[in-house]
Order: sequence, then structure tokens, then C-alpha cells
Amino acid sequence: MLDHKLLEVHNLKKYYPVTGGLFSQHLGDVRAVDDVSFDIKEGEALGLVGESGCGKSTLGRTILRLEEPTEGQIIYRKTDITRLNQRELRGLRQEMQMIFQDPQSFLDPRMTVGQSIGEALLIHGVRDDKEREQRVIEILERVGLEGQQGLRYPHEFSSGQRQRIGIGRALILNPKLIIADEPVSALDVSIQAQILNLMLDLREEFGLTYLFIAHDLSVIKYVSQRVAVMYLGKIVELASRDEIFQNTRHPYTEALLSAIPGITQKKKTRIILPGSVPSPINPPAGCRFHTRCHRVLPLCHQEEPNLRDIGNEHLVACHLYRG
Amino acid sequence: MTNWLASINYITGKVGGIRKLILILMAALLGVTILLDVLVVEKIFDPLGYLYIALGTLAVLYGIYPLYTSRRLVGYYWERASQNRLAVAGLAFILFLILLALIGPFFTTDPTATNFEEKNIPPLGFTIEESVYHPETQQSISKTITGSGKHPLGTDNKGRDLLAMIVSGARISLQVGLLATGIAVALGTLIGVTSAYLGGKIDNILMRFTDIMMTFPFFLLLVFIVFIFGPNLAFIVLVIGLTGWTGTARLVRSETLSLRTREFIMAAKALGASDSRIILAHLVPNVISLIIVIATLSIPGVILAEAGLSFIGLGDPSVTSWGMVLRAGQQNLDTAWWVAVAPGVMLFLTVLAFNFMGDGLRDAFDPRSAV
Ligand SMILES: Nc1ncnc2c1ncn2[C@@H]1O[C@H](COP(=O)(O)OP(=O)(O)OP(=O)(O)O)[C@@H](O)[C@H]1O
Ligand SMILES: [Mg+2]
Repeated sequence: MLDHKLLEVHNLKKYYPVTGGLFSQHLGDVRAVDDVSFDIKEGEALGLVGESGCGKSTLGRTILRLEEPTEGQIIYRKTDITRLNQRELRGLRQEMQMIFQDPQSFLDPRMTVGQSIGEALLIHGVRDDKEREQRVIEILERVGLEGQQGLRYPHEFSSGQRQRIGIGRALILNPKLIIADEPVSALDVSIQAQILNLMLDLREEFGLTYLFIAHDLSVIKYVSQRVAVMYLGKIVELASRDEIFQNTRHPYTEALLSAIPGITQKKKTRIILPGSVPSPINPPAGCRFHTRCHRVLPLCHQEEPNLRDIGNEHLVACHLYRG
Repeated sequence: MTNWLASINYITGKVGGIRKLILILMAALLGVTILLDVLVVEKIFDPLGYLYIALGTLAVLYGIYPLYTSRRLVGYYWERASQNRLAVAGLAFILFLILLALIGPFFTTDPTATNFEEKNIPPLGFTIEESVYHPETQQSISKTITGSGKHPLGTDNKGRDLLAMIVSGARISLQVGLLATGIAVALGTLIGVTSAYLGGKIDNILMRFTDIMMTFPFFLLLVFIVFIFGPNLAFIVLVIGLTGWTGTARLVRSETLSLRTREFIMAAKALGASDSRIILAHLVPNVISLIIVIATLSIPGVILAEAGLSFIGLGDPSVTSWGMVLRAGQQNLDTAWWVAVAPGVMLFLTVLAFNFMGDGLRDAFDPRSAV
């Protein structure tokens, strides 16, 4: 495996200000992404998992600079892209693409899917209609549709077909990095496997690197080599797939895994997480997970654990594993 | 399937090909008329003429041409709208009205020509008794008047042909309705989309301004302005247009706000689309259906406003509008009922037709009613 870092994220934060009152005072922040660091090697598929609202989408969008980062650094192929303006970013957009979650909304209902896919080429200077047409047909066929279907509007397709179109649009620019934001969570289980297999095939064929976001651990297990577990805006555990699934460390990851029967070899009793996810506006002091943790220590109420390597490139942010 | 992506060129918001040609032609037309107006003493166009050219250009660029390039989508919506019988009937009546206004004048006489020999003739198929007072004999003689094909709708108390007046009124009502609504909707769309897309302070300023405009009692304002500056159709159109955009602005703004969070806007950004492309290629086409509905539903209000103005005697006296005929008829209701009934029925049907069509379009565009 190449050991080339394609993407590095250092201490990335994305806060959404909360304003209110008569004069729109600043009341606080939604800490959607709070001090996240990781990297992705070229050709790798990194899975990002966490409950709804923990900041997965925000992280993905901030990396692509679709949201302005509040703090931190995003380095793509040794270039710091954190502060590039939209015009400077345009060239890089070809290399980093996103696949979206909601098949009802990621295609413009007023454009034919051919136009939607072709728009990518047009933005990046392919002015010749014939050439665009040719390339759109090619990509449609590659993702399992017919070229002729480019003439149709999104409402004429099923969700699974639309997701194929979304993949086609992301791929037509020959990107290197794909951030896939829950690409199958809105699909029927029977279709999920088809789409995942398509994405895996394309990864081989185009040499893609994936940041694969999901809340479903079985999906993550199927597609990724390394897994990052996110809770309330922070990464709490990050390790290779085998380490995460066979050598689980963080109590939150344990709880997530215990909810899926048969995903690990070990027999485990189901760990029920008490309460609900705290508000990202006022995250708990100390370890953010301590309010729901089944192995909580007194220290967890005071001190926030850092993400540390406990060997075997297994990173975990938990006081249980202090060296 | 030759060149089936060509319409993307429209979608880009870049002016190219046919659109460029249209723009150049319209600009040339405008230039020539202005030059002629300035150089030649006699006016060729009144201000309405310029409005026509400007709004016509907008309509072709953002209405008819995109409709043409996305025929299949239009066909889809037509299929859905045509299931609504009332909407189709409304559309048929509107088309009839447009035809009436466009070619009617070639078949009717001058609506202002008076002829006291032929006053108060009832419509074709009706007969009335009229008592005529003879000054010499100092007696009233009862006289029977029968409607004839010469004046199918009859005449008024000055002998003016009612059909000609109705045709002229159709022209005025459509002119006022389309032009004023065109101005109002174009302004409202621009303000609404800009406000929503830019957000922040600009949004705040624009929306407070809209609120202030909304509190204006606009019919009173209209009466006031006509009272001061005199009744002139172009002026009336401008005032209605320049004050009537507030509702559109608010609706378009809220629609844009909800569109902005849709993933396809995010997707366009991820592809590297510029702000202007996102506004012109994604936001505007997606609010266009809303705009069409708003426009269709606000035309009747404008037509009624102009009719009301004419009815209370503040209309442009140089043109014959329905409101004016209605006023004349209402004063002679006992001798010639048809003079009031004809414009009344036309106004009623017109308002109804636009409302039916607007409702039908709204349902057709509504994604929730999709199968
Ligand atoms: N534009 C925004 N303004 C304010 N808060 C936001 C905004 N976008 C997201 N948030 C908040 O940030 C937090 C993280 O949201 P995000 O969509 O990234 O979560 P997620 O992990 O992707 O969840 P899901 O699985 O539901 O997609 C949530 O609390 C959300 O309410
Ligand atoms: Mg999400």
C-alpha cells in the first residue's frame, strides 16, 4: 500500500454561531466539529461513523470547503487549502468530490441528469457540446445506466438510480478523493449492496480514495480499511478496521458494536446507551461521553481525554487507556 | 440525439447563441425607437412601448426560450395541469382574450366614435321599448329598438359600439395586467432571491424595506398619484408595478431560503460553480414555477385595480377600458343594462380564468402532489 498522505486534517473546528434576542446577540456556538485531526492515505478508504447529529456531514463539507472552517488546517497533497478563496479552490474541486445522502434532493429537479452531470465538465472548461455529451454517456454507462437516460429528469428515476447518477457526477471530473456522505442510508437494503459494490469497483478502477461517512457499522465494515468513530464533534477512536472490530477500546464504540448482532466474533451483551446525545452547544465538561458511559471514572468528569496511540496505530480518546 | 446537452448553455446563465441574438435584436430595436423618438418630433412609442420591449425581452430570455429548451419537462407539467379541467378552461379563456385583444381591433369599429342616431341599441337578439321625447309635439312616443348584427353587443347612450369597446377594454386590461405584473414580479424576484442568497445585513435591509412598502395602502397611493399627476395609463402601470412587488419578494425569498439548503446547491458548489451560476442556473429556474404561479394569480388583482380606478373616474381618458365602460353603463342602467353587464361579465370571467389557471399551475408544480 502506498504510504502517501493525500489528506491531512489538523485540529479542525467548525462552530455555527447561535444568535438570538432583539439585537441578534451571539449566544453561543454549535460545536459541530470540535478539534478533529486525522489523515487519509492515497488509495485508502477511511470510514467515519457516529450517531445522527455528531458532525459527520459538517466535517465532510468543511474539508471540501463547502463550509468555512472556524479553526485548524486542511492539507491536501501538501497544499494548505484552509484559506484558499473560492476561485483558487476551483481547480482543486476536480480532485475532491462529494457523494450526497438524499436522492430526493441532490439533483436539480429542473435539469436533465445529463445536464447535471455535464455541468461539472462545463464548469471545468469543457465547452464542446459533443465532447461533453460523449463523456456524460460514458460515465452513465459506467455507473450502470444507459446513455440515453441522460435526457431524463430526476423524477423519472428510482432512488438507487439517482444515487448512481450522483456517483457519476462525482466521478466525471476524475477526482482523487471522494467524500461519500451516507450514500446508501436512504436506500432500500437490497439496493445498498449494489451501490456499495459499484463504489468499491470504481475505487479499484479509478484509484479513488474514500472518506466514507455512515451511521451503519456494517456498511463501514464492508467498505473501509480504517475506521474513525465520532461522538459530539470529536473523534473518539481511530484504528484499522480489524482493530476496531476485534480489539474495540472506546466504551462508545463498544456500545455501537454491541447493537449489531454478529458483527464481531466475540459474544457480547448489548450495551444500552442511557439518555440521548447532549447538545453540541453545551457539551458536557470533561469527557463528552461521560454522561452516557458504562465504564465512567471519576476523572472523566473533570478532564477531557486526548486521542492517543495505544500501539498498533490504534488511537483512542479515553481515560481507561492512560499509559 | 444530436446535441442534447446544448441547452446547458442556457443553464449556465451565459448569454450565447440564440439568447445573444435576442438580446442584440431587442437592444437594436430599443435604440432605433429611442433615436426616432428623439430625432423625429412625433412620438412613435409611448412609454408603454418601451416597457413592452424590455419585458418582452425578459420573457423571451427567461420564459419562452427555456420553455422551449426543456420541452419534455414542460410536457410533463402540461400533462399534470391539463388534468384540471377548470385550469384548462381558464387557459382557453385567456387565450381567447389575448386573441380578442390582438386581432379584434381589425374587425371592430373605432370604440370612441359616437353616433347619436344609433344610441342605446340592445345586443343582437334583444328588443327594448324606448320612450322618445319629441320637443315639437311635447309628447313621448314609445319606440321599439331591436338589436342587429351591425352592433352585436349593442351600443351605449352615445351610440358607441359596445363590442369595439369590449375589445379595446380587453387590450387595456391585458396590457395593464401583464405589464404591471411583469414589473412587479421581476422586481420581487430579484429582491427576494438576492435577499435570501446573500443573507445577513443585506437580507435585513431589503426585508425591512419590503415591510415598509407593504404597509402602504397602495390603492390610495394610486388614487393620490393619479390625482396629482393626472391619469395616464403608463403611469398607472408603473405605479402598480413599482408598489406591487412586495408579496412576490417575500414568497420568493422564503422559497429560495429552503432551496438553498437542498443538497443540489451544495453539489453545485462542490463542482466549483460560482455564485452567479448558482443563482442563475439553479435558484432562479427552481423558483420560476413559483413565479409563474404568483404572476398568474396577481394579474386579476392588477386588472381589477385598473378597472376600479377607471370606474371611479380616475382612469386614463384617452383609452377605453372595461372600468370606464362599466362606469358609463352603471349611470344608464335603466335605459341600457347591457352596457354595464358586458364589461362586468368580462371582468368576472377574466379574474376567474386567471385564478383557475393559477391554481391549476400551482398544483401541477407542487412536488407533493406527484405520483
Ligand atoms: N448550518 C448550520 N447551522 C447551525 N447548526 C448546524 C448547521 N449544520 C449543522 N448544524 C448542527 O451541527 C450538528 C452536526 O450536524 P451534522 O449534519 O454534521 O451531523 P451528522 O453527523 O451529519 O448527522 P446525520 O447523521 O443526521 O446526517 C448538529 O447538531 C446540527 O444541528
Ligand atoms: Mg449528515
